[in-house]
Amino acid sequence: MVILDPPPAPASEGGREPIPPTSSDPPDGGLHRSRREWLRYLTKALALVPALIPTLFLIMIVVALFSLAGFGVTFSLSPFRFVVHPPYNFGFGFFGSKWNPSPAPGYPAQWGTLVFIVGSFLTAVPALFLSMAIGLGIAIASTVYLPRFVSAWLDPFVDLLAGIPSVVYGIWAFVVIAPIFGTLLNPWAAAHLAFIPGFGGPPGQATGVGLPITIFVLTLMSLPITTLLIRDALRSIPRDLWESGLALGATRWEVVRKISIRHGSRGILSAAFLGFGRAFGETVAVAMVLGVNAAYPINFYGSTGTIAATIFSLLDSAYGNSQFLAALSEMAIVLLAISLAVNIAGRRFISSIISYEVPGL
Amino acid sequence: MVLANASEARRSPEDILYQESLRTKWRLGFDRVIGWLLPLLFIVAILPIADLVYYVGSRALPTLTFQVLTSTSLTQTDALGVPIVSTAEIMVFATLLAVAFGIFGGVATAEYLSERMAGWVRMTANLLVGLPSVTLGYFGYFTFVLYFGWGLSYIAAVVTLAFFMTPYIFRTADLAFTSVPRPIREAAFGSGATGPQYIVRVATPIAFPQVLNGIFLAMAIGVGETAPIVLTTTLSTILPTSIYSPVSFLTALIWENFAQPKGSPLIDLAFQAAFLLIITVIALNIVVRLISYNFQKRIQGLYQ
Repeated sequence: MVILDPPPAPASEGGREPIPPTSSDPPDGGLHRSRREWLRYLTKALALVPALIPTLFLIMIVVALFSLAGFGVTFSLSPFRFVVHPPYNFGFGFFGSKWNPSPAPGYPAQWGTLVFIVGSFLTAVPALFLSMAIGLGIAIASTVYLPRFVSAWLDPFVDLLAGIPSVVYGIWAFVVIAPIFGTLLNPWAAAHLAFIPGFGGPPGQATGVGLPITIFVLTLMSLPITTLLIRDALRSIPRDLWESGLALGATRWEVVRKISIRHGSRGILSAAFLGFGRAFGETVAVAMVLGVNAAYPINFYGSTGTIAATIFSLLDSAYGNSQFLAALSEMAIVLLAISLAVNIAGRRFISSIISYEVPGL
Repeated sequence: MVLANASEARRSPEDILYQESLRTKWRLGFDRVIGWLLPLLFIVAILPIADLVYYVGSRALPTLTFQVLTSTSLTQTDALGVPIVSTAEIMVFATLLAVAFGIFGGVATAEYLSERMAGWVRMTANLLVGLPSVTLGYFGYFTFVLYFGWGLSYIAAVVTLAFFMTPYIFRTADLAFTSVPRPIREAAFGSGATGPQYIVRVATPIAFPQVLNGIFLAMAIGVGETAPIVLTTTLSTILPTSIYSPVSFLTALIWENFAQPKGSPLIDLAFQAAFLLIITVIALNIVVRLISYNFQKRIQGLYQ
């Protein structure tokens, strides 16, 4: 270090010699900004416009939904009108469970959207648990137990699950899988699993439309997201932690269970959040295999409705009926709020998503 | 040997050795069994997709003739010509719009924004990607169809789909331009390049494959979207004549026809459309993966 020290500068009374001014220097000693500098500021300011496009989109969506909930179809930019406007305000019909869009004598129109909110949770939460369990298994198998070349071939197939359009899932599940549930699995479960609360009673429709098939489809659709995120979380364990675990005599399973999962717990948590967001917001496939039934399911095989599928299916019939539209807007706001919250929570834990190639991530 | 408690004191060393060896055997055996069982879970994931592709293919292929693909019959019960062409048109225009929004946005975010601002913008892009598509369709319905008065139309579908695809292109463009190796960036600026010069002449050739990747990915996702299309347009049996006319789309066709009874020509049509969608999406996904793989290799090569 001593060697690298520069030789001491020859002492002169003025310190360093002043650099003689050149012709290109600004005459006012730097206060003047060159054209090039101004250009740089201008580009920086102009760059804000395209960069803020996503933010602008998000704000547009939020404002549109909120202004609608208050005022039917006539746009008034009073976002909080829905709180105070009595016929279709948020608090008025929101907590009710009665949904009756077509009033008849003796049956007034009612806009209780709680049925659909509960229905969304009833389908998304079991699907989330299933897909987390399967995803954890697949991720452990692919990172720990399978040889690298095998998992390198198998992993893309799981990721491909996310690429299949949801409408294709829907038609396949409706035509192929739903009859299996309706004629085989549901009656069997109703006969043999009746000791579990909720599993007894009538085994649902013969077409198979109902909660079990919906949970099945949602599990499949959120599986790639959970698997991919858990895989990344498990892969992020440092090699020396892994090897010291093995060197202490732990088996691979013990290292995974006690070290890897703990080390990647934040990634696994984010997988749960984002998988839930996907299952909660799934629209078309649910509209196909569950339909819209404004009632709580009587048992595990019953049918109900979810927020997304209801908005999707009923928007046509709501045309011209401002109360109906406002009720749908309320549901859209609930959907928006929940998916935004879930996404914010999920993405806090992962600094960067390694693969953008899975849709919905 | 330090005995942990009284119960161990009663065991003879032979007992301890024997019991420990049993326990070790069990632990190793459990690890091995788990190692065989967990990979079986792959079947749970891969079997459905295999069945899906097989079933849709076996339903679609026997009736999928060249005539079905090209015929523009007005009855729409046995022809896919109109939906295919309409889908292609919508995709082209929506992609153009989304590319215009997304690439400029991504480049600006990567090159000109401060870290804090860029983090915020990336967050909102991620949130947009995470939004359920029905929310976007609903927004499109109210904003474009009702408020702008475009009606259930071609242009409403195109713009809504562009809104849907933009964040995907935005994110990949941003990622591509931020992952240009830092030494190259510094070399460019160090040799006196201006910002635009660096972007156009240095960063773009390096980032281009990844940007292209994002465009393909957005197309693969956009072509499979149903809700933004169904909510902003209605099915038509002819090609759109103006930007305000209704238009057909493959996913919308499936949604309209999925509940038909077996044997109806309409459900055959739906399965044919589904088959075409699967083929398109899988092909685009393979392209995306290949480009991404080559891009990674190229970026790594730049560091050497």
